[in-house]
Amino acid sequence: MKTRSRVGAFFSVPPLTRRATTLVSLLLLAVVTVGLEAQPSFTAPPPSTAPVEDPALRRDQYLARRMEALRWRAAMATPGDPTKLGLAEIAAKLALREDAAACSERLIELMKKPAADMFWMFPVTCISYLGRDQLTGEAKAAIREAWRTYYPLRGDTENHWVMYYTTMHLMAQLWPGEGEDRWFNGKTSAEISAESRAWLLHWMELTTTIGQGEYDCTHYLGEYSIPMLFLATWAQDPEMRQRGKMMLDWVIADFAVETLNGIYIGSHARTDDTTVLEKWNALSSYFAWQLLGNCPPQASYGGWGIYFATVADHYELPEVIYRIGTDRSGAYTHLERKRTRHRWRNSDVRNAPVYKTSYVTKDYALGSDQGGLLQPIQQHSWDLTWAVPDPRGVHNTIFSVQPFYGAEELMMYFTEMPDYMPAAVTFQGKPTYIAESKLLGGSPYEQIFQQEDTLISLSDVPASAPWKQVNGFFSKDLASIEEDASGWIFAQGGSTYIAYRPLAGYEWRPLEKGGKRLFSPHAKNGTLLQAAAASEFKSWDAFKAAIRRLPLEITLTPTPRVTFTTLRGKKIEVAYGAAPRVDGRVVDYAGQWKLFAGPYLNGEVGGRTLTMTHGRLKRVLDFNTLTITDAVLP
Amino acid sequence: MIIARRLFFFALALLTTGVGAAELRHDLYVCVNLSGQGSVMGRSGPLLSGLYRSADRENFEHLGPHHIRTFSLAHDPSDPARLYVALLDGVLRTPDRGKTFRIVTSWDMTEAKSISVDRNRPEHVYAGIPDGIAVSHDRGQTWQRMNAGIRRAYTEAILVDRTAAGRVLAGTEKGLYLTEDGARTWRLVHGTEKVTHSLRQSPHDPKVFFAATGGDGALWSSDRGLTWTRLAGISTERTLHNGEFDPRDARRLVYCGWGAGVQVSADGGKTWLDRTAGLPKREVWKVAIDPDLPDRIYAAPYMEPLFASDDFGRTWRKLQWEKANVFDLVFVPRK
Repeated sequence: MKTRSRVGAFFSVPPLTRRATTLVSLLLLAVVTVGLEAQPSFTAPPPSTAPVEDPALRRDQYLARRMEALRWRAAMATPGDPTKLGLAEIAAKLALREDAAACSERLIELMKKPAADMFWMFPVTCISYLGRDQLTGEAKAAIREAWRTYYPLRGDTENHWVMYYTTMHLMAQLWPGEGEDRWFNGKTSAEISAESRAWLLHWMELTTTIGQGEYDCTHYLGEYSIPMLFLATWAQDPEMRQRGKMMLDWVIADFAVETLNGIYIGSHARTDDTTVLEKWNALSSYFAWQLLGNCPPQASYGGWGIYFATVADHYELPEVIYRIGTDRSGAYTHLERKRTRHRWRNSDVRNAPVYKTSYVTKDYALGSDQGGLLQPIQQHSWDLTWAVPDPRGVHNTIFSVQPFYGAEELMMYFTEMPDYMPAAVTFQGKPTYIAESKLLGGSPYEQIFQQEDTLISLSDVPASAPWKQVNGFFSKDLASIEEDASGWIFAQGGSTYIAYRPLAGYEWRPLEKGGKRLFSPHAKNGTLLQAAAASEFKSWDAFKAAIRRLPLEITLTPTPRVTFTTLRGKKIEVAYGAAPRVDGRVVDYAGQWKLFAGPYLNGEVGGRTLTMTHGRLKRVLDFNTLTITDAVLP
Repeated sequence: MIIARRLFFFALALLTTGVGAAELRHDLYVCVNLSGQGSVMGRSGPLLSGLYRSADRENFEHLGPHHIRTFSLAHDPSDPARLYVALLDGVLRTPDRGKTFRIVTSWDMTEAKSISVDRNRPEHVYAGIPDGIAVSHDRGQTWQRMNAGIRRAYTEAILVDRTAAGRVLAGTEKGLYLTEDGARTWRLVHGTEKVTHSLRQSPHDPKVFFAATGGDGALWSSDRGLTWTRLAGISTERTLHNGEFDPRDARRLVYCGWGAGVQVSADGGKTWLDRTAGLPKREVWKVAIDPDLPDRIYAAPYMEPLFASDDFGRTWRKLQWEKANVFDLVFVPRK
């Protein structure tokens, strides 16, 4: 069976007849629960990670989760206290079609003091569209006036621009034909519409040919998917609506394939000091909860998540993406090509390629990039994440970093003057940027190679670097840490056995948030990690013995070099500054790393297409023809 | 009452500073961020950032949008009311000294750092942007990139030679480039290790140019920018932010930088005196010399008040704000 749609209707809400009973039950439960208990799914036991087989039930549960988030947020508004009725509460209430008069009154006040740039623009766009048939004329006029007098910054990076231009496109559509004196930027509605469309097409072209720039971010997933949902829902231009739908699928599929029970795993262009340890604690977990239903939502539904919820009923997650995100019955390797953020200085290329590797099993996932400075400040280059029954408060991850900071890095990605930047960054929500104990960020002196569930990171740090050491993160939630006479450190996280091999001497240092830091103060250095499922071995001792038997040669001078035969029988040879070899064959990054390559997602660099497959399900997003093709293979 | 009090203090300020004695033929425009070190997109502070104007050098009026990354400004020589502002969003143009604004660039030009108008062809405007040089031939209405010949096109400084239409110098990541055909072609006239942050043409001798760089010290040209030499006695270890000629005295110069403080010269750059004493720190973002007030210079230490000196840097006093990051100080003729 094949269906092919151009500007299709897959966003439509399916009929309720077959599952009315279930839906009503869930909604009633939500209505009763929310308001009495704060954030039910945040505080309740974790949901099952098993896929829901019945599509009708799956949809019902999806809609119930949406309602839970909306009702919780709407209930945050305290009657009689207008300060508790903010933009998020108003959006929730309008989505629920309640208290329009109070929302209107409050909006008139809120529009007098707009702030937060593009982070103001997309909530107000959401409210404007939800309120088209609910808000008073005065409230609409107040919103209109704010878009004339308040000047939101356009921003300087991909996530800013997606929010800015999507909302500009939609608001110019809402107020068409207006002159330049009616907009904060002095442009006409027609000019704004054309400019925003041009940027959005440019971004989609980049993303579908050489990958996202701020790729796989644990928080910016929302900054991409919410605007795309708005575009898919509200754009009048059928092309822009179709593009919104397709990009939303693209972004969500890109996320789903690199999750383990809803947790975003592996390498991220940007994450933060909390999430890098407590992997679940990210806005991305709201999306996993909402879309896949397999993990608890972040507190407050991730904050921004509420704006997705307002129109989440207009989106039906394609089953193939749902399956990709929830089926962990077999291990798989997934490769991706992404790009760096725009490089302005200290580089001959605008967007350097990023080669990502992820190996995902039901028990653990190992993910990495190739190392180097791929993003400023908040890059996370690799980690192993293990499955846990309940991820809340758990640091279910292990990784190492070569800590680095510097004006040269910041000059590459920002256009600011050099010297003030490193210290200023620490005032901008990135407090560990210049800390030697940092566990977040890339290094120009780190090279990483991953083969399935084996990873080798090498570092060769010059004297001019701020620090020469390797920092290894050892979680408070590791069941055991054994320093073996062989040089290996054995540990267990959940049902995962971990063998961690520092390439040079080390000592332990405490960590404020729990666990300990492996501090290895040597410039020629690195980390070798081998993971395995506990179920693969008869015992803990059997695992350790197997690791000890693996052929391993480590040389640190003149440059670090490792030859290792993995548990899976692959002989890996890596040397700092040289291309890795696997079983004697040189790894060809440019050739092997497609836009997507693996059992589930596939796409060629430059191809503008993404093919999603799972079992007999197949869906193709083709930006060359703006078509979505669904097929069920015989 | 409040107005009366302001008038009183204004008059007092005029008397005490001597400003009233001189004829002010320029307005001082300041591009400033007042939102603190933590200012990033999506956050706002209590004070308005962006463009300010002072008609009397004591009181500052906010113009246009609150904008934390307003980098520099240039005026149209044929109509000084028309201003072009280089900022994070591209180029902003005002036809009426800041009463109304319009972003004149589109999505494909971001983070304009500098801007210069061709005195001999004022409809031509040049902007230094992170990926090259943007040129408008219609007073900013439309723009195109014109970087041919430039490698590593990041451009922080741009300056049109006032003696020849279409003759422009650009301070890029890797050197000083010159075009003599309105940016159709560029050629490297002096390579640098790091970015050139400011370019100035002597108001006394148009053949003389002065450049401040990120790692190559201060550079000097006496032949219209064709050849450049490093000024002796200036360290290359510091990032220099800008250098200025004194419009009233051809021998006097000033420059500043990160850790470099404020340095002045009274002999055309042969020797330099440190004039940082009296400022709270040596990390000075911008200096400027007032074209109307003898010996008046301004210094903007990072995240400190804007300071003024009426004795060319021997003593300093706080002029405005408490924690400011002043990106530029520009004097625009009133007529």
